[in-house]
Parts: sequence; structure tokens; C-alpha cells
Amino acid sequence: MTFAVRTWDRMSPTARLTAILVPLALLLAVATVIGVLVVVPATINFLGANLPLVRFGVAVVGILVLTIPTAFVLIYMELKIIARMNLRVGPNRIGPWGAAMSLVHGFKVLSKEDFAPTGADLPVFTLAPVVTFLASVMTLLVVPFAPGIFGQDFNIGLLFFFAMGGLSVLGLLMAGWASFNKYSLLGGLRSAAQIVSYEIPLTVSVVGVVILAGTMSTNSIVLAQRGSALDWFVFKQPLAALIFFIAATAEANRTPFDMTEADSEIVAGFATEYSGMRFGFFFFAEYVNVFIVSALITTVFFGGWTAPFNWPWPYNLNWLDAWSIGILWIPIAGIVLFVGTDIMAAVVRLLGGKAWTAPSAFGLGLLITGALMTAAVGLALFIAFDWVQGIFWFMAKTYVFVFIVRLDARHAAPRPGGSADGLRLEMAPARIASQPLRDGNRRDHPEPVNAR
Amino acid sequence: MPPRTTRTTGRATRSAAPRPPHASEDDPRIMLDREISSDLYDPVPPYPTQTEREAEFYTRGDGEMFLNVGPHHPATHGVLRLVLKLSGEQVVDVDPVLGYLHRGVEKICENSDYYHVIDQVDPLEYVSSLFQEWAAVLAFEKLMDVEVPARAEWIRVLSGELLRISSHTLFMGFLALDLGGLTPILYSFIERDEIVEMLAALTGARMLFNYFRIGGVNGDLNHEFLSRLGDWMSRAAKQTEANAGLLNENEIFVRRARGVGVLSREMALRYGVTGGNLRASGVPFDVRRAHPYSVYPALDFNVPTRLEGDALARYLIRVDEVRESIKIIDQCLHNMPDGPVMAKLPRLLRPHPGRAWGAVEGPRGMLGVYAISDGSDQPFRFRIHDPSFVNLETVPALLPGNLLADTMAIVSSLDPVMGGIDK
Amino acid sequence: MDRNLKRRLEARLEAQLRGPIRQRQDETEIRIQPGDVPDVLRTLHDAVDLRFEILADLAGVDTGEHMQVVYHLWSETSPDWLRVIADGLSRDDPRCPSATFLWTGAEWLEREAYDMFGIVFEGNRDLRRIFMPPDYTSFPLRKDFLLPDDAARSTGEGVRHVERSHAPAVVADDPAAGVRRAPAS
Repeated sequence: MTFAVRTWDRMSPTARLTAILVPLALLLAVATVIGVLVVVPATINFLGANLPLVRFGVAVVGILVLTIPTAFVLIYMELKIIARMNLRVGPNRIGPWGAAMSLVHGFKVLSKEDFAPTGADLPVFTLAPVVTFLASVMTLLVVPFAPGIFGQDFNIGLLFFFAMGGLSVLGLLMAGWASFNKYSLLGGLRSAAQIVSYEIPLTVSVVGVVILAGTMSTNSIVLAQRGSALDWFVFKQPLAALIFFIAATAEANRTPFDMTEADSEIVAGFATEYSGMRFGFFFFAEYVNVFIVSALITTVFFGGWTAPFNWPWPYNLNWLDAWSIGILWIPIAGIVLFVGTDIMAAVVRLLGGKAWTAPSAFGLGLLITGALMTAAVGLALFIAFDWVQGIFWFMAKTYVFVFIVRLDARHAAPRPGGSADGLRLEMAPARIASQPLRDGNRRDHPEPVNAR
Repeated sequence: MPPRTTRTTGRATRSAAPRPPHASEDDPRIMLDREISSDLYDPVPPYPTQTEREAEFYTRGDGEMFLNVGPHHPATHGVLRLVLKLSGEQVVDVDPVLGYLHRGVEKICENSDYYHVIDQVDPLEYVSSLFQEWAAVLAFEKLMDVEVPARAEWIRVLSGELLRISSHTLFMGFLALDLGGLTPILYSFIERDEIVEMLAALTGARMLFNYFRIGGVNGDLNHEFLSRLGDWMSRAAKQTEANAGLLNENEIFVRRARGVGVLSREMALRYGVTGGNLRASGVPFDVRRAHPYSVYPALDFNVPTRLEGDALARYLIRVDEVRESIKIIDQCLHNMPDGPVMAKLPRLLRPHPGRAWGAVEGPRGMLGVYAISDGSDQPFRFRIHDPSFVNLETVPALLPGNLLADTMAIVSSLDPVMGGIDK
Repeated sequence: MDRNLKRRLEARLEAQLRGPIRQRQDETEIRIQPGDVPDVLRTLHDAVDLRFEILADLAGVDTGEHMQVVYHLWSETSPDWLRVIADGLSRDDPRCPSATFLWTGAEWLEREAYDMFGIVFEGNRDLRRIFMPPDYTSFPLRKDFLLPDDAARSTGEGVRHVERSHAPAVVADDPAAGVRRAPAS
């Protein structure tokens, strides 16, 4: 032992590094060999035998990866549009048109102190944001994005959604209770009361849809609406759609249902004592909620990923194979890019005049050609694969609802148009001015009490 | 009343923080972590109750809890602290705690000479500081029998009414903010900024103007002020209607403000409430008409009055007053006489011994000053009566029975400014 | 100046008035004993020809010799402000009946006068400090409460203690103590 310590002390830094790294590398090599020979085939065999498990894992990872950009896009959209309503410019410093603002917000949240107040119930305090976040993320499992692209096709998909939505209340209650703050407690209880009360109309409103579709699986509900826009359930169940929309807005705590975090009364509600990434989880959960609610409205009432009119596609593009060019597509693409750039550069030069020197004309030509080719490839994919179409239509519809849900009454107070009922701003009748100042109820004045 | 224990313990120490070396287990100032309970954060004062009312308030009934709103809270308009006694979300009782902004302005004024006092009273009602100057100047002019030139009076009315519009516009924005609407406040500030820039051209300051003088005003109207004013007047009425419409036609705002915090006529009189809050309860008391000063008798304007006495009425009164103020400004611009803007006065003022009371109608109500002179160059007693102080006093009567969500709507609809309340 | 008001006041309050009714510019001023405050205020508030219904202000005053409580009232029956001065409160133990039985709003105004002058309003059920901290012992607007830069007015000791406990104001009896006195009026 002493020998080993003495030797270690005498070694140079490089030698020490080598002494550590060489055995590690050897171990790694052995492990790799064992892995390649034994573990990987076994795993592949196992997963091959249990494909639903793979699908589940991929779905959860994919969903987690999807939520963060969703939140970023939503935050940026909100900042920018509300700024316009407020006659401001909005974020315009970080990234093009301030687009990286929410990214920086994210880093700010990550770099803040992780703080817990004195007297907080630490385990509950720590778990609360996790519960809330997971509850909203897990609902994404049953959202069908496109044919074949969904987390899990439960036959009780809608029930799963409502159950998970109810679970998020638990997180808010935990946060409110564990913060050791009365504002938090009030906020947590408010949110519990609100979500529980809106859960009922939310659940009941989809019963009609479930009967129409004959299933609770979200996938099958979308399939039941295939055809044109007239086959969407919103036209068969308009009242249910309206109720669902309102209740879902409440479920997502958006204005005018934002009593849970009414900052003018109870500061920030259940999130008052949270900072850093713990708060970030609530924040993300809220935005993911908005997305999910919109996605579910789209799925249940607006045909999900189906196109709004009778779409003749997907075409079978197998006739391309008939040309039998195979790998030659790659040089062909290169040639098209090259020739296209030249032609575009010439056009730019002709139209733009002498201001366009050769490099800039070629640069622009390259850009235009690249964009056109990308568009062509995208169009081909869109025509050829129904899941590309599915994602396109689904996202388009969902973001329309995200836009509606997110841009709430508190910011979008309408500019004056008509006149509100019963709110005429005339002067009170002039006779008031001549009415004498007289206290009607003289008995209200007790005798002075000499207390001292 | 059950006896209450007096607590001598101070704040809890953080568990991670090292304990100071002198601290021992039985040091009453140190509270151990295991002793921390929700009781620690109750706003119960750590001394025996002093009055009947205090004892009644700080005795908790069954299922009631105390909630400290303020002094640092997003919606209490400065450093007001409201101790709410809640039963669930319902307010049972309120104890407003003042004094966080107390500067002793009255004492400072008693130790300043008469010219200096005007400077000292500026930051009281910082939203509309000209009116506080006006009240002081009015009392001093009465004390000294100073004749103010006519043009100075007209300029006072003109700048005062401009500031009244600015203050009322800000009130509308803040009321909406406390009800959860974030946009109107930004429109309000646009309006206010135009007016404040205009007054900056006239007085040299944007907020604490120090413009009125005993016997006149500091400086005549100038070109920049008039051109800005003309520009603004060309669209003032339209802009005001637009800003008011933003709220008047908002369903959420109207429903939340209507029927909330009803101040009856008798109650308003008994509480000594003044200003728009009193007129919203059906009493047409406006110092400009009730006890005219300056050139208001020569002006044509109405005193808007409403009967409901709720938060919405208090808001609508302000909207109406803005319209009346625009009318007054128009008349000022048409009737402004020529002449000097300052009376000739000595550099050091030593009024004869005597007393004077001057009151003006500020945006929040009657601003009064009671000045006593003992013949020296400083006022012997300088009493400031601030309307927000009395208006805020109705809060303990208005809040009980309402929900927590409505507390801010009610407090905000009374339009308190803590600078004036705390003096 | 409202001569008519003067006549009405003399008729109604003949027994309670101390000294003549003074009128100057738009103000009418009467002086009464502190003990008469409830009666006088009730008469002023309720009498058909007076009806002073709005309490414009309630202020404490320290004249250096005694304390006063000053009420400013407004009525639509008169173009004047009415000032009621309850005069002659002892500086050592100033006591005055409360006006809260008539104007609930006087509660805070009296609290302020108590906070600043130590005037005890009998009948006010919430007479505690309102601006200063509850454990504060001085009354800042009293004339024997000197500011640090008041050396010129002090007895020559330079800067003096600003906050002193509410002891009987001995300095008031000593003309050399520098307490400012109101003009004898």
C-alpha cells in the first residue's frame, strides 16, 4: 500500500493520466466486445419480440423532446403578438427578430438559485413540479399526430387523457400545500376547485363524440372523421365542441380562468415560492397544457390529422421507379443544383442590374435554387407519404387553437366598437345637484362613549 | 376576549446558517427549526393589544386565518399593508397598517420657510403633485392677503385640469390591472406621458413640478407647451373615448366591477369621503363648485354624479370627469387673459399671525391645508389633509363579506396614493 | 364672510361659545371648550339651519402652551368654511371627546392626532398609532420635539436628542427652552 502511494506521488501528471486511462480503455474494449457479442443481440431480440415497448419508449422520449421547442415557440409567439397589442416592439435583441428570446429565458431559469423556503415540506415541495409536468406530458401519449405516428393507441384514450389531466391538480395542490405560504395555499386550492369543476363538463361533452365514433380511442375517433371537413364532429356536435373548448381553456388555466395565479390578488398562486427550474417545470407544463388542449380539440372535433377536403393523395410514386435510375438521383440532383444556380444567377443579374456583382448574384441564385429544390422534395414527400400530410394538417389546426387559447382576454381587450349593454355614460340627472345634503338615518349616531 | 400570549421570539433562523456564537438553546430570540409553525408567520403584533378594536381584530375565530397583503404586494399601490382576516376566501375583517412611507412632511414644513414648503409638499400626491402645491399656495395666499394676477389663476386651472386628466387616466389603467387586464395600463401611460411631457415643457419637471408660487406661477406659458397642448387637444376627446371604451365594453371588467364595494350615501358622508368616490355615491360635493376658488366660478362644467356607489360607478365618474376637464381646458385656452403671472412679493415672507384653511379639489378629493402663522418666516403649524387617507379609511367597512379576489378591485377603485396617505 | 352664519351660530351655540366668532375671508371660526365638542358638533351637524355634514378636516395643534383640536366643516347652507377650535387642552394630559359618534371617518384623523400630538380622544375605539411604529414613545409634531438641525432654537446644547419619551413637557414652562409659542390670540 505504501509502495503504491509512494509510486503515485512520484509519477508525473502525464504518467498519472496514462495509468488511469490505459486500464480504463482495456476495460472498455472488453466490455464492447462482450456487449457486441452478447448483450446487443439479446436486447434486439428482446425488443423485437416486444415492439409495443419500443414504441412506448420512443414515444416518451420523443414527447419530452417535443415539449421544449413547443414551449419556446409558444412563448415567443405570445411575447411578440402581445407586444403588438400593447403598442410595443417585443423581443428584438437576441437572434433574428428576437426569436432566441425564449431560449435565453430557458437558460435563465436553469441558472437561477434552487431555493426552498424555511418551513417548506421539502419532499412534497420537490415532487410537486415533477408531478405537474409529467401529468401534462403523459397526456401527449394518446395524441395521434399522423397515421401511424402516435404514442400508444389505447382503447380508452380519452379516459386516459382526463385521468392525466386530473392528476395535474395533485401537483398544484402539493405545491400549494408544501410551500408554507398562504398565497400558495389559496392558489393551490383555487386551482383544485377550478379544475375539478371543469372536469365534469369536459368529460360529459365528449360523450356524444364517443357514441358517434363508437370508441374512446383517439386514433379511431380521427379515423371516424375521415372524408371532408363536413365529416368533422364539430358539425355534428357543435354545442359539445363549444363546451369542450371553454372547459379545456379552464383546464389549461388560461384567462379568463386564471384565478389560480391571479397576480393582483394572490401574487403567483401555487408558484409563489418556486424559483429556478422548479418554477420552470410549472411554466413548461402550462405551455404544454395549452398545446395538448388544442391538440385534443383538433383530434376530437376537427378531424385530427385528416385533410379538410377530399384529398386525392397519397399518390403512388412507384412510377418513378420505372425509370430505374436508382442511385443516379444523387448526381442528377447535383446537376440540377448546378444548372439551376447558373440560370437563377443569370436571371438575377438581368433583373437586378449592375448592383449585383457575380458573387452575390451566384449566392442568391444558389439560395433560390436550393429553396425551390427543398420545396420540390417537400412537395414530393407530402404527396407520397400520408404521415407527412397528417403532421402538416394536424399541426396547422392545432396551432390555430393554440393561438386562440393562448392569446387571452387579459391582453386582447378589444378596442371600442359598439356600445355595451346598459353602460351608457350619461350624466346622472341634474336634480341630484339640487337635492339637499341630509343624513336620512339620524339614529345611527349613538351617544359618545367615554371609554377612558 | 380570550387572553393572548405575548410572543417575544424573533424571526426563525435558516437551518443551514451557522448559529451565532452567543446564542444558546434558551435564548428567546432564537427559534429552533422544530418550533416553526404557521403561527410564526401570522401578522399578529408581538405586543399586547392596545385598543378594543385591535383586540377584536387579532382574535381569531373558528376557521379564520390572517393574510398579510403588503407592504410588498403587486397590487397595493405602494407600500400599503392590509392585514386580512379570511374565512376561506371570504374577507371577514381588515386592518390597514399605514406608515411605511411616513416622512413627517408636516414637521419638515414647519421648519421650512414659506417658499420652501411648496417644494416639500410636492412628493405627497406624486401622481398629481400640482394640486398639493395648489392647496398650500391657496392657504398661504389667504394668510398673507395676496392678490393673484388673473393670468396666473387661469394657468393654474389649465395645468391642474391637465394633470387631473393624467391622474384619472392612470387610475383607469391601474383598476384594470388589478382586475387582471394588462393592456389598458399601457394605453394609460401613453396618455399620461403626453400630458407630463407637456407640463415638463411648462414647468421643467415631469413629476414633481414645483410650479405654483405664492402669488402666481413660476413662468408663463411657452411655445412648446402650447404647441404640444394644441396637438394633444385635437385628439384628446377621441383618445379618451377610445381608452374608456377599452374597459367600458369589456364584459369581464364590467361584471367584476359592478356591485362590488358599495359605498352608500350615508356611509360616504359619515366617513368624510370626498372627491369622485363621494360623487359616485350620489353626493354632488365638488370643492370647485361647493366652495369655489380660483376662476372656477367663471367656468362652465358639470359635476358628474352617480347613485350606485360601487366600483364601476367610481370608475365611470372618473371617465366623466376627464370629459369635463377637457371642456375646462378648452375654455381656459379661449379665455386666457394677458398680464403678469406673479404678484410682487418680498423675498422673505413674514405673514401676520393668523390662521387659514385652503382647500382644492384634487383628482382624489378635497386636498386641504391648514396653516398657522406666528409672524415668523416659517409656518407655525402646517396641517395637510389628504383625501386618499380618508378614502382608504372606508376599506375596513367595504371589504368584509367580499371575496379575496375583489379586495384589490375595491381598494383600487378608491384610488389611494400612498405618498399622500403616509405623509 | 357670511354674516348670516355668524348670527345663526350665536343663536344656536350661545352657551358653548368661548370668545367672539371670528370671520376672515371665507372662514368663520368659533372656539369652544373640549368638553363641549360632542354637543357643539351634533348641533352643527343636525340643526336645520346649519347642517354642517362634511367633516373637511380634523387636526391637532400644539401652541406651545396648550393643545387644540381643530375641526373644519362644510355645509351647503353657508359659503364659508367653519372652523371649530376646541381650545385649552392641557399639554401634559390632553384629552378631548371623540367625534366618531358623528363622523366615523374621524377615527383615523383622531388616530393621527394622537400619533402626532398625544391627544387622547375619549370614545375612539381604535386609538393607537397610525404612522409611527407601535412601540414609539414620542409625539413628533409637538413643539418640544426638536429636529437635529434645530440647534439654533434649542437651549444652546447643540444637537439634542430627537426622540424623547412622553414625559410631562417641563420645557414648556421654561421660556428659555426655545419652545415656539403661538401668538396670544
